[in-house]
Amino acid sequence: MGMNRYLYDGTADGLLSAIAWILAEESDPERVALSERKDTLFEDGFFIGTDPTLAESLFSRLRMQLPDVAHTLYFCMLAEKEGMETSLLHYISLAFTHGDKINGYLTHAAVRDIVSISKKAARELHRMKGLLRFEKLRDGAYLAKMEPDHNIIHPLAYHFRTRLKAQHWFLYDVKRRTAARWSNGALQFGAIEQFTTPALSDDEKQVQALWQTFFKTIAIPDRKNARLQKSNMPMKYWKYLTEKQGE
Amino acid sequence: MDTLAKLQILSGAARYDASCASSGSKREAPSCGTGNTSQSGICHSWSDDGRCISLLKLLLSNDCRYDCAYCVNRSSNPVERASFTAREVVDLTLDFYRRNYIEGLFLSSAVMQSPDVTMERMVRVVETLRLEEQFGGYIHLKIIPGCSSELVRKAGLYADRISVNIELPSQVSLQRLAPQKHKDSILEPMALIGREIHSSLVERKADRRAPRFAPAGQSTQMIIGASPETDFQILRLSQGLYKKMNLKRVYYSAYVPVSADNRLPVLAAPPLLREHRLYQADWLLRFYGFSAEEILSDDLPNLDETFDPKTAWALRHPEFFPVEINRADYATLLRVPGIGVTSAKRIIAARRFSAITPEGMKRIGVVMKRAKYFITSSGRPFEKPDRTPALIRQQLLLGEGAGAEAPRQLVLSGLFV
Repeated sequence: MGMNRYLYDGTADGLLSAIAWILAEESDPERVALSERKDTLFEDGFFIGTDPTLAESLFSRLRMQLPDVAHTLYFCMLAEKEGMETSLLHYISLAFTHGDKINGYLTHAAVRDIVSISKKAARELHRMKGLLRFEKLRDGAYLAKMEPDHNIIHPLAYHFRTRLKAQHWFLYDVKRRTAARWSNGALQFGAIEQFTTPALSDDEKQVQALWQTFFKTIAIPDRKNARLQKSNMPMKYWKYLTEKQGE
Repeated sequence: MDTLAKLQILSGAARYDASCASSGSKREAPSCGTGNTSQSGICHSWSDDGRCISLLKLLLSNDCRYDCAYCVNRSSNPVERASFTAREVVDLTLDFYRRNYIEGLFLSSAVMQSPDVTMERMVRVVETLRLEEQFGGYIHLKIIPGCSSELVRKAGLYADRISVNIELPSQVSLQRLAPQKHKDSILEPMALIGREIHSSLVERKADRRAPRFAPAGQSTQMIIGASPETDFQILRLSQGLYKKMNLKRVYYSAYVPVSADNRLPVLAAPPLLREHRLYQADWLLRFYGFSAEEILSDDLPNLDETFDPKTAWALRHPEFFPVEINRADYATLLRVPGIGVTSAKRIIAARRFSAITPEGMKRIGVVMKRAKYFITSSGRPFEKPDRTPALIRQQLLLGEGAGAEAPRQLVLSGLFV
């Protein structure tokens, strides 16, 4: 018995509406495969058009009935990982059958895949809450650049909105060319067409030198351990770390 | 002396304090101020020794009146002396916090003119941060033994965590190596803090606006390897501190030779493996339901270097095994070597859906290297049955490359309390 194959347009709304459609129309969603339409010659499957209302209603239903599942789904989408659509479909289908404790069903391949993708995104978000570095600009605002693997700018901005609410700041995702801005009590997100590095405030280099000094002296020389340092703080994050400049 | 030169001296002098936790407190940002705290804690960097940096760890001064043999700041040691002004510490904290370098401040100090004078100056720093600057970030404040209880109370109102260092594991060693410190001057403030935390919790139950007292609890630290106490003595001391004083954490700090004083042992390197084993045993006390007397005894007073303390316990107790993973309760699963808190919880969550097979154990993410000798799945063993402890011991050694992979350094996590 073959699997029924479906295609969607590759957008987040498209994915959620396709999942909602399949859950409503197919008797056994676990026997259904879903993937992104690539418009290649040999592609086979039935295309499901995007319906934002259907997508929204599925997500709000999950939020109301299965909050842990909605949370997992949210982080899974931030991962922007390709080829996980079928697993996601099976995961959500299982969740509607078994309830909100479904994340414990790790012996099931689809559950394990989705939970682990979502955990990775959540882990990077947590890591970035610590590793993000702001620089003070001449106009008094603060700017932080980053290149995270996952698209975490939204939840990261929400974290700093409460934490650093008394100052104006920007987050800039260099790879995705997206930015968040917090100023005068309002948080905005947008795309950046062209980025020009703004001038730093006069005392910025001084404060950075203080931090670099602290970073060096706080390590116990007799316990040097570069491997442990790298495993806790992978080198891919060093590019924007004030304390790792000039190393 | 400029701030940078002072920072070099006073952060260098603070680096032997192990604690860097920023967890356990949920402080909201003041309405027009800066900073909040995160319940789970956040690490902001990792220094060259691999330890997490979460807090700006500083001494207010290293100009010490005391002459403790093991301490780099002892009065007889010819090191450069410096003291911060309150404003300098406040500005450093805010400048670093606004750039997201840190979760907050960990302030300690050498004993200046007197314990009271020192503690008063430290309290003034955090008072300025909290009241004048409306700072809502994490603050860990060290208590100077011998200061007045009024200052201890004040410290607990501003700080998230406060700690009194026990320094050495016995009164005898304290007398020998730190003659100006006395056991009572350490234990008294600890007991006071414990009572204040308790009564604040009770008051906050009745009235949510009642002031918090050190919401992230109290911790302490002792130096390992500078004095002759056994691991059993140390663990029993920790157990008492957790049970009777309600401490959140006891930190162990491998003695780093900073002096050629003949009252101190000569060590080629800090006893890092011993420190690591003590932390593992400490975890068994706090999260695994073990008692110090189960881990060690008068006949077996020191932790095994080759095996972690749980594996060593399992090898001494073959009658407890094998454990059936599809039926055993949480406490029993936790006794299996290689199964930690996370794995035990995952096993219990997954078997609600279907029985767990050996393949399933891998899917869940349980590391089977050690566990496989001690468990069955639906009655079937993972390894050939009827293994004697001696054989398992040998297998475990081979599997671990005869201890070559034994961790040489502790992973200090700021994430967990």
